[in-house]
Formats: sequence, structure tokens, C-alpha cells
Amino acid sequence: MTAVPTAKERGSLWSRFWHWARYEGFFAHLVMVVALFIIFIPLLWMVGTSFKDRLEFATNPAGLFPRRWSLINYEFGFTQLENLPIYMRNSFILAFGTVALQVFVCSLAGYAFARLQFRFRDLIFLGILVSMFIPRSGGLMALYELMTFLHLRNTLIGLILLFASGIPVPVFIMRQTFLAVPKEIEESALIDGASWFQVFWRIALPIAAGGMVVIATLSFIGVWSDYLVTFTLIDKDTQMTISVGIRKLLRMSYDMALSPRFRGKFAGEASDTAMLLIAAFPVILFYGLLQRWFMRGLMEGAIKF
Amino acid sequence: MAGGGSGSTLPAGRKATLAAFLQELRATRRATWGNPFGYLFIAPALILYLIFNVWPIIRGFLMAFTDYRFLYPETRWAFNGLANFQEMVNDKDFWFSLGISIRYSLMVIPTVIVLSLFLAVIISRVRHLTAFYRWVVYLPTILPIAVTFLMWKEFYDPRFGFINANLKLLGIHPLPKWLGSTKTALPCIAAADVWRSIGFPTLLFLIGIYNINRELYEAAAIDGANAWQQFWQITIPLLRPTFMLVLVLNSAILGATEQVMIMTGGGPQKATLTIGLYLYNIAFTYGDLRLGYAAAISLVLGLISAGFSAFWFKVLREE
Repeated sequence: MTAVPTAKERGSLWSRFWHWARYEGFFAHLVMVVALFIIFIPLLWMVGTSFKDRLEFATNPAGLFPRRWSLINYEFGFTQLENLPIYMRNSFILAFGTVALQVFVCSLAGYAFARLQFRFRDLIFLGILVSMFIPRSGGLMALYELMTFLHLRNTLIGLILLFASGIPVPVFIMRQTFLAVPKEIEESALIDGASWFQVFWRIALPIAAGGMVVIATLSFIGVWSDYLVTFTLIDKDTQMTISVGIRKLLRMSYDMALSPRFRGKFAGEASDTAMLLIAAFPVILFYGLLQRWFMRGLMEGAIKF
Repeated sequence: MAGGGSGSTLPAGRKATLAAFLQELRATRRATWGNPFGYLFIAPALILYLIFNVWPIIRGFLMAFTDYRFLYPETRWAFNGLANFQEMVNDKDFWFSLGISIRYSLMVIPTVIVLSLFLAVIISRVRHLTAFYRWVVYLPTILPIAVTFLMWKEFYDPRFGFINANLKLLGIHPLPKWLGSTKTALPCIAAADVWRSIGFPTLLFLIGIYNINRELYEAAAIDGANAWQQFWQITIPLLRPTFMLVLVLNSAILGATEQVMIMTGGGPQKATLTIGLYLYNIAFTYGDLRLGYAAAISLVLGLISAGFSAFWFKVLREE
């Protein structure tokens, strides 16, 4: 990187390239491309393998991509595994239920903490933030007991309530969002005779929509991806989510690949990768579409330290 | 509000007094308690938080001092003092799995820090595509944890996995067994975990680097410091708070559970039995479901993590 004098000796073309490269960060791009490729190898391999049929997988397990592309694994997954749509449906119910509940309660609370005057307001807010840092030792065991006691084990409602209760970061983000809304608009509405709830619902909330998208994105991805809590609290097939049930799906597809009915059509290992992609697809899509909001949420969540 | 319905039965004079009294009451209440809507608005969030977050913290702590076995509900509050902790001292598997977890953390945490710092420095040097790079680096982190580790399990597959299929093409004969060997299983899981957890530290380092004043570098360049010296003399010292944050967040790795649960289930021959998986099995898999003992182990683990966090906080705090 320090070879500037030699660059001059080699003439203007090289020197111009050199200056352009330094300005643009060309070498950093080069390193990034290599790094990204390394990061991406397992993902690319997963995508590629999911399009390999049995013959292709047996003859070319080493290739990142198949030589002949086949949709057999997906076809099989969507038509033969009757648990897949159930798990998917449960995951969607859980994720959307949690997002709706959390956005609703955290917007209300964030608004109150930002705007309304009441006793112990700042103390309660501080308490919520501080309690976030207490380690949840034994939390899972206590939750198991609590959910059994409330008859919420093996129910999606129980999980929705539980996941929606992770309020500190969302409330913090919503409070910041409402603090950024000019107070004057609300005050003039109040003078015109609107109630607090009307001000909240008709004026503050639409302006704060950005913050709500942020917490919705964070919570959707977190809930969809959860493993340990769901695995502990749900053991019925009818209430299982895709992120936990995926292990069972893989076993089923593996067994089916060996059964006489499907022998020779597809390889268990290859169909596994297709299942994994199906399970991950909604979060990837969500993350892709809303990444700007998601990053904002991460930053705002992180910067408070 | 209360006076409205019964107004007609009261004489006019008393009605007026009552109204005045109520108004006064409302005024004092407002002066002491403020806007009642405030409590109404925070109530749903607060109630959820108290039931599903605060109570488990309290109960989890208390449970550590009981011999609660889930299959025997009458043991729910069977306090046994420090017996769980005495048992732990003599529990060989506890020490063994704690050792595994410490080794695992020592593999994961330094690697994550070095790689994420490297990526952050590189990304901070490009002018275009930064958003794209950030997006890609963070992608592995958002994948469902089960998908990530099952994918890596297939990736490591001794016969059809990507690695061994390619090693076979290269003609390497005794193919490594990766997850199937007691020697390589733990590093393999650690590698997958590094892959998964590198995104967030990279973002944090990136924010830290962006917050460093550009003029410092310009001044250093004028004084003749090269890029390497600038990195060690400016970037690293000024990233102290970020290092602290990353280390504190990563101390959770000590409790790693899902990673091994999904990839190996603790095997081969307990080679990947982390303390997290060990206590999970005690609580939810083995015998009487000893939630009490598991909560005690979990408490010790939490204290160790908190100790590490406090240590890093003290070492890296800005003077």
C-alpha cells in the first residue's frame, strides 16, 4: 500500500489507477469481496444443493451449484410433508401476533414515557432499562413453571405474550421516536379540544410510524428465529413453529428419501437444504425489504450504552 | 363522576358541596399523581413485563435454593439452603462441562473480535457499497439459529458435506470426521458460531470507527505515521468503549446451549457437552426434571458471566 514512488516510475496509467484505487478504496473492496465469498460459501452451497436431484447429488456433491437444476426437493417438500404448512402457519401466527401486540403496548408506553406527566414516570422507565441487564439465570426453568401454572404451555398465545413482554428496547426506541415529534402539533390539537387518546391515535402515532416499523422488524426476526424457548415450551406438533420443527422435517424427509416410494428420486441430504431454505426464507425476505429500518433499530438499541 | 347518577336524590346544597369536593379531589390527585392516562398507557407493557420477565428473574433466583423437581409439584418451595451448590462442587460433570464451555468461549470470542474488527476497518475504508457490505455481514446473524447450525451440520457431513466432498476430490485419504471426532467437534461448532455471531460486533466496531475524528488521522499522517501505526495508536485506543460492549455482549457465549444441542447433542462422548446443554438436560431431559439444581447451575453461570463483564468493564473503562 505504500508503493507510491514506484507507481510514478511506471508511468501515468498505473499512477492514475493507483490514485483512483486509493480514493475509491479499491483494495478494501477487493478484500471485502474475498471475505464475503468466504462468508457466503455455506449459504451458496445450501442454495445450490437444494436444487440437486438424487443423481446430481450423488455424482456432484462437491460442487457449489448443480450442473442440472432440479426443483424436485421443493416439490417434495411442499407436497409430501404435511407438517410443513402447519409449522409455517404457526410461525406466522406467532410472529405477527407478537409484532402486533408488542408494537401496540410499546407505542402506548413509549408515548406515555415521552409525553405525559405522571408521578414516578422517570423512575419506572429507568427501572425497566436497568432490569434489562440483570442476567436471566434460571429464567427458562422459572418460565417453564410459570407457563405450566398459567396453562399456557404448548399454546401459541403463551409464546406471543412471552415474546411480546421483552419491552425494554422497543419502549426505549418508541420513547425516542415520540420525543423527536414536535410537541407544538400535539399542543394545538389539545387546545382544539382533542383528548389524549385522540392526540396519540391521530397525530403522534402516524408520525411515529418509523419507530414502529423498526421495533416490528426487530421483533419479527427475533421471534421467527427463536429456538430454545419455543423448544422448551412447545412439544405438540400442532403448535410447533418452523424454526424448531425443522429438525423433525429433516428427519422425515431423510426417511422418505430412503422409502421405496421415493427411492432414487431425491437425496435426503439435498432435500434437507431445501427445507432449511424454506424455513429461513421469510426472515431473509423481511430482512431484505426492511433492512434500513432494521439497521436503524440495531443502532438505536446499541447506542444507548 | 360518582355523583352524577345519584344527583337527583340529594338536596341541591349538598350536591354543590359534593361537586366542589370532587373537583378538589381531582385537582389534588392531578397535582400528586399527574396525568392518569400515563399509568393507563404504560399498564399493558408493564404488566406483561412484570409477569413474563421480572417474575422469572425472581423465581429463577429463588429456585436455585430449592430442590424443585418438576415431576413432584410438592417440592416447588422445598428450600434446601446451599445444598445445590455443595452438590455442584462434587459434581464431576459440572466441572467437566464448565471446562468445555470455557474452552468454547476462548475459541469463539477472540476470533469474533479479531474478524469483526478486521471487517469493520475494511468496510470503513470504502466509499461505496457500505450499506450492501453491512447487509451481507449481518445476514448470517438473522438466520434462524436452527437453520444456521443444521446447515453447518450438513456442510460438515463426513460423506456428502461440502468440505469432505472437496477434500475427496483433492485425494486426501483418511477424511476428517469433523463433528464425529472428539478432537475436532468443538472447534467445528465454534467456527459455525463465529460465522453466525460476527455481524453485530462488526456493526458496533463500524459505528465506533465512524465516530473517531478524521482529523486525528490527518494529523498523524502529517507526523509521518503509516496506516499500521495509525491503526494501533488511534483506532484501537479510541475503540475501547466498543471493545467493552462487544466483550460484555459476547460473555453470553459461556452459556452456549442451542449450538451444541442442534449440531451434536453433546457428543461424541461428551466432547461438546457445554455447561448450558448440561443444565438444560438436568432441567428438561433427565429423570425428575430437576429445575432447582439446574437453576442453581444457571445462577453460578450468570455470576461467572457477570464477573467477566465487570472485569472487562474495569479494565477497559476510560480514565
